[in-house]
Amino acid sequence: MGISIFQFFPTDNSSIQQILSLIFYAIFFFYLFFGQQLQVQRILLSISGALNKIKDAQDRSRREIIDFLQKNDYKGDAISHINTLIEYFTISPVDLDPTGLVKKIEHILSVRDERIRGEVRSMLPEKDALTISILENLLEIAAALNVYYKVVRHYYLIGKKTSNLYLLMQLQMVLPDLLREVEALVSAIEPIKNAQPIGDGIGPMVAGRLLLNSEKKQIARDTIFGEVNYKNRVLYVIKAEGPAGNVGQPGNAIEYLISNYGLKPAAIIMIDAALKLEGEATGEVAEGAGAAIGGIGVDKYKIEEIASKNNIPLYAIIIKESIVEAITCMTKEIVEAIPKVLNRIDYLLENRTKEGDSVIVVGVGNSIGVGQ
Amino acid sequence: MANLFKGQKQFKVVTIEECLSCKLKMKRPFKINDYVYKEGEMCQKCGTKMIISAIYKEELKY
Repeated sequence: MGISIFQFFPTDNSSIQQILSLIFYAIFFFYLFFGQQLQVQRILLSISGALNKIKDAQDRSRREIIDFLQKNDYKGDAISHINTLIEYFTISPVDLDPTGLVKKIEHILSVRDERIRGEVRSMLPEKDALTISILENLLEIAAALNVYYKVVRHYYLIGKKTSNLYLLMQLQMVLPDLLREVEALVSAIEPIKNAQPIGDGIGPMVAGRLLLNSEKKQIARDTIFGEVNYKNRVLYVIKAEGPAGNVGQPGNAIEYLISNYGLKPAAIIMIDAALKLEGEATGEVAEGAGAAIGGIGVDKYKIEEIASKNNIPLYAIIIKESIVEAITCMTKEIVEAIPKVLNRIDYLLENRTKEGDSVIVVGVGNSIGVGQ
Repeated sequence: MANLFKGQKQFKVVTIEECLSCKLKMKRPFKINDYVYKEGEMCQKCGTKMIISAIYKEELKY
């Protein structure tokens, strides 16, 4: 005997029919009046899970700094020192009158950098530049994770307090991307602690390859340069000073070479890692025009300003990678991009400059684990 | 160290030493204080000093 679906939904006035109708109406009215609260609770649960993950990441970054300090014989009150540095903030200058804004940003950033570096040096006074830079980078990671945690917690608590479904939905929508960035920051701790090159270091790696066997001089804070005779041209190769974790000041370095050194370059070639779009291959090399440099924009502004004022062509060569690859240990695919970048430089030199010309080549990025 | 995020892959970091004269390449596990362009060991083929030409991670396959 077959079972008919109508047996579950009888059409007569039996007691089963009445119970089923009652259940249906109960569910219908429950969702009508309490559906939003139910959704709020469901989203709060999923955000609280993500918040715990961010908290774990934040705690781990602090633990790593404490371990690092202990390994380097720090005897003071590590926790209060770390908290002060992690909570250190920077106030952006007023932008109502944008004239001279970059100069003000540069000044404030330089005050912040000097303050943090001074504090880190006072914690480990007898340690070398590499150890100091590792601690600075670890503190930057911890400070970023601290901001992620506090901002997500802020919106989570506001959403919970006001049962604001739309606020919570917005937070839930951005959470996957936020967690990816948190994951990237956590994965960056290990390579930075061990001073291993990161994906962002591909620019300094290419510059370091060009600088092999040449004399290097300091040109700006944490920045070195060297003169290289290559394909009958003189290359002025600039990179952040490694193997410490520096990004240097390429803007100041180029400015110095042109304004103080009297250099009249036929071109400026900038090499940097760039974020790829989903679907693009890691280590893909592309060429374009403009200043290939990230950050707040101080160096970019300076380079664009000096290049346009002196009518110097500005070429960019980028190596594509994801945000996770950019701040975690270097991958083989990115390393394999070096010969391709060198081929592009050769092509630009042969086709866009003449023999005897001077050319500035800048390897942009964090030089951790990359010497010269 | 335990992973905070599910599905994270496990990696090992390797150092590549390269001889600039004969182009011989040697791969070995990364050691603390290794950095790219640091002088490495003597080349087993031509006896000149090698340099560390790359340090990168490789996925561990079980």
